[in-house]
Amino acid sequence: MNLLQTHLDGIRKTFPDLVSAVTESAGGVLTIAQSREGSPSATQEGQWIHSAYDPRKEAQSWATLQAKEWHAGELGVVLGVGLLYHVEALVASKPLGARLAVVISDIAAFKDALAVRPLGPWFNAIEWIWGNSDEMATQLASKSAPLRFFTYAPAARPYAAQHQALDVELRRLLATRQHGRLHVAVVGPIYGGSLPITKYVVRALESLGHRVSWVDHSIHHASYERFNTFRDPRHRLSMQSRFADVLSMGTLTELSEDPPDLVLAMAQAPMSLGALEHLRRKKFMTAMWFVENYRHLTYWQQLAPGYDYWFTIQQKDCHDALRRAGAPHVSYLPMAADPSVHRPLTLATNEQLEFGSDLSFVGAGYANRRAVLPRWISKDWTFKVWGNEWEGADAVAPILQRNGARIDTDTCLKVFNATAINLNLHSNTGEGLDPAADFVNPRTFELAAAGAFQLVDQRALLPECFTEDEIVSFEATDEVPSLIRTWLRDPVGRRTIADTARQRVLRQHTYEHRMKDLLAELGMREPDRLGSILRGERTAEVLAAQTTTPSELTPMLRQFAPDQRVELKDLAAQIRARGPRTELSREDLLILMLESYRTETRDLV
Amino acid sequence: MSRTLVIQLARLGDLVQTMPMITALRKQYPRDTIDLLCPEPLRDLGTLIPGLDRVIGWDGARWHRWAERAIQGIQPDQRKEIEQELAALCPHIYDRAFVLNQHTRAIVAGTLLAKECVGPLAQGPLSEQLTPWAAYVREIARTRRSNRIHLSDAFCGMCGLLPPGTPPRCLTPLISPSRNLEQIGRGGGPWIGIIVGAGDPARLVPVDVWRAWIVRFLAVLPRGRVVLIGHGAECERARDIQQPLPPSILGRIWDITGQTTIHELAQTLTRCQHVIGSDTGPLHLAAAVGTPTLGWYFARARVHETGPYGSGHRIWQAQSEDGGPVVPATWPIEPSLDVLLSESPRTQPQWSQWTSQTDEWGTYYSEAGQSSAPPREREALWHELSHAMPV
Repeated sequence: MNLLQTHLDGIRKTFPDLVSAVTESAGGVLTIAQSREGSPSATQEGQWIHSAYDPRKEAQSWATLQAKEWHAGELGVVLGVGLLYHVEALVASKPLGARLAVVISDIAAFKDALAVRPLGPWFNAIEWIWGNSDEMATQLASKSAPLRFFTYAPAARPYAAQHQALDVELRRLLATRQHGRLHVAVVGPIYGGSLPITKYVVRALESLGHRVSWVDHSIHHASYERFNTFRDPRHRLSMQSRFADVLSMGTLTELSEDPPDLVLAMAQAPMSLGALEHLRRKKFMTAMWFVENYRHLTYWQQLAPGYDYWFTIQQKDCHDALRRAGAPHVSYLPMAADPSVHRPLTLATNEQLEFGSDLSFVGAGYANRRAVLPRWISKDWTFKVWGNEWEGADAVAPILQRNGARIDTDTCLKVFNATAINLNLHSNTGEGLDPAADFVNPRTFELAAAGAFQLVDQRALLPECFTEDEIVSFEATDEVPSLIRTWLRDPVGRRTIADTARQRVLRQHTYEHRMKDLLAELGMREPDRLGSILRGERTAEVLAAQTTTPSELTPMLRQFAPDQRVELKDLAAQIRARGPRTELSREDLLILMLESYRTETRDLV
Repeated sequence: MSRTLVIQLARLGDLVQTMPMITALRKQYPRDTIDLLCPEPLRDLGTLIPGLDRVIGWDGARWHRWAERAIQGIQPDQRKEIEQELAALCPHIYDRAFVLNQHTRAIVAGTLLAKECVGPLAQGPLSEQLTPWAAYVREIARTRRSNRIHLSDAFCGMCGLLPPGTPPRCLTPLISPSRNLEQIGRGGGPWIGIIVGAGDPARLVPVDVWRAWIVRFLAVLPRGRVVLIGHGAECERARDIQQPLPPSILGRIWDITGQTTIHELAQTLTRCQHVIGSDTGPLHLAAAVGTPTLGWYFARARVHETGPYGSGHRIWQAQSEDGGPVVPATWPIEPSLDVLLSESPRTQPQWSQWTSQTDEWGTYYSEAGQSSAPPREREALWHELSHAMPV
């Protein structure tokens, strides 16, 4: 009997469908080559997927590194199959009570692997995950154990797209199952576009039932602006930079007074690399939602290694750049809308008159908008432009409202609702449409959530957020006039599209969805930290029922409300609350001892 | 015969300052078993303290790891691991523990490892009521007023003991020094140890001040030798001190920063005729091995709080008008050289000079130009605080 058959026979009973699929596959994806040491190695698409010198030794080093983070009770999930040297090594390093699953992204490559070298009994104990990304995500989500992912990069690289799809789907599935309550500290900016988004994020997290501490730096805006009055730019920059450092220290102090489970910083949050490194040393988990165009604002280059997790509104090149700059984990998290703010309005007649027009644009006067918008002024329709930073844009002056004053969110909403066609033109510093048109701006989601009809410039990431039935887009500026004519003539069509877009936002694109996704991603990557809280495994009731909880703790846990999350610090506080004359058990003393060390680890100041 | 555990989980200086208490304890209970629990990295230092039967290392790093894991919930295997560690440290429970730190972990350790715990808290680990001695030490640390009772003696008071009278000395380390260290103290002299660094950056003497001190020292005492003392992280500082010095001077400097274990450090300090510096921990150790010290105290360092124990140590204390931390503008280079030349040290503007003495109530410091009689309030304090002593 050949090796392939022997291996398939070993798993036939448990994975009959997988065995059939392998049998039917033609294989031939891997090119087998002998390593210097004598054991078989392999290449795929011309790249080595195991060491050309000693695959076993390489696999052993990789596994030793991975296993450090792997805890009992977790299901390890390996991405990247190769010739399974690394899986074999990981099995050998497995902690007691842990299980191992391997994701098979390519049945043909798997078939090749099974025919190359004899695999031991460990092979039959692996939980194989296979199918399309939805099926694999469902299989993984159904496992009753925290997941710990291990990516063996050389073999996983050719399947990066499949793994990304699996990740997205799994995140979505896990997001629907979150019911634990986290304490999240949201660190906001001093001012700017990410400030309102911070408010939406805070509200979304609270709506999801989490406790939120908002480290609000907008209260310092006036002081920060004061430095702008210095004539010498060196003075201005020096003072603003030092001020940001002070705020960074202030953030650490605030975090230290009420340590959160997660520090979520929004773009432009005044957090220095030194402060972030300090937080890491003190075991605080940090994430940044970088709601900026990474090509325009480049401060991420300095901060990349500082945050544990980065979430960006762009993909591919942005992620590569962040990883090159030292970011440990980067994920995609698009913008969204807040339906409690971005909503359909019924306007009074005078409001309709003031804010209404056939065509409108709300936004700042970036170079491309100054160049493009005048081309769409016509006697065939009324056109109003709202917003600030339009100084010197003479061609826009006749249609600029309120002399180019900055307008607030309420006014924006009135304009969106009163306008027949809202133009949504992503900003850029050139003279035409954005040449690197990838991310989707918040305005797209906000207009859709408001039930307003929009024409938006096409973006690479738009189709995965909205279909053509939900959003009308254009790829060139000269398409726009005819689109305006067409849609001005079709109010019913406009309403249908706008309503469909709004439904899509409510279904998938609110800040609550984004925060669920973000937490699901973090829970997946940190199964024993955030993951266990999100799975609701830290409540008094669940802890008391767990067989892994020492029996001496059970009476103590019963004194908490069943759904109350209980941490070491809560147990210690309960012991202290009994008063100084209480007789302390050995369990009590150990808790007090551990708590004294925990407090020191988390003491930021 | 009773079994006693002394718990000192603070830093090097505090451990050295525990020596008088251990000496007094041994004097009072010559037949008892007396063990010491100290931080694992300082265990070697503990073995140099006379009067002890056993030194037990407390692995704080391991407790940190356990605490980090316990944040995710206490698992039975972890509980088992902790109990195994405690059983390995102390197979049999002690009759009593003397706890010298006011930190929860030391008090809890005492409660875990002994039947009776004598410490800073009057009624066990959950109590907030301090014993009179502990309250006194905390008050001194908080208000930073002159502590006329040395911390070493306060440790004795906390444990119901009187100071030993004669300052104890460390045991001589039983090691063969490396070739580099072997030369120290041989030929020429005097050999002066300079402690180049300080645990608190605010207490660092500037590199150029040390350089100036060395140049002046070797000018006034041409046969003198300098030993640069410090840990691994202070090697660069030692190099900076030496960099611009002429080669003729360099031949008279021994740089041993980063090269010594605690036993080797103790041995090196023994071979020096004086040790000078601003880092209180090594100064305490120098005093404990019997070497006179010259301390420059500034920033938050206070002679009455952390002056070396015993007689004949000299401290220059930077003066501030409001009693707050001081950044000195001048340095007592010449006055400290006067001491090495056995001359009466001249005065240094903005610094006061103090010399230590020892009597039946322990060590005290008296200011140059003032009476060297012991401060009167000391004895009164002893009576007041000892009246309500726990033991």
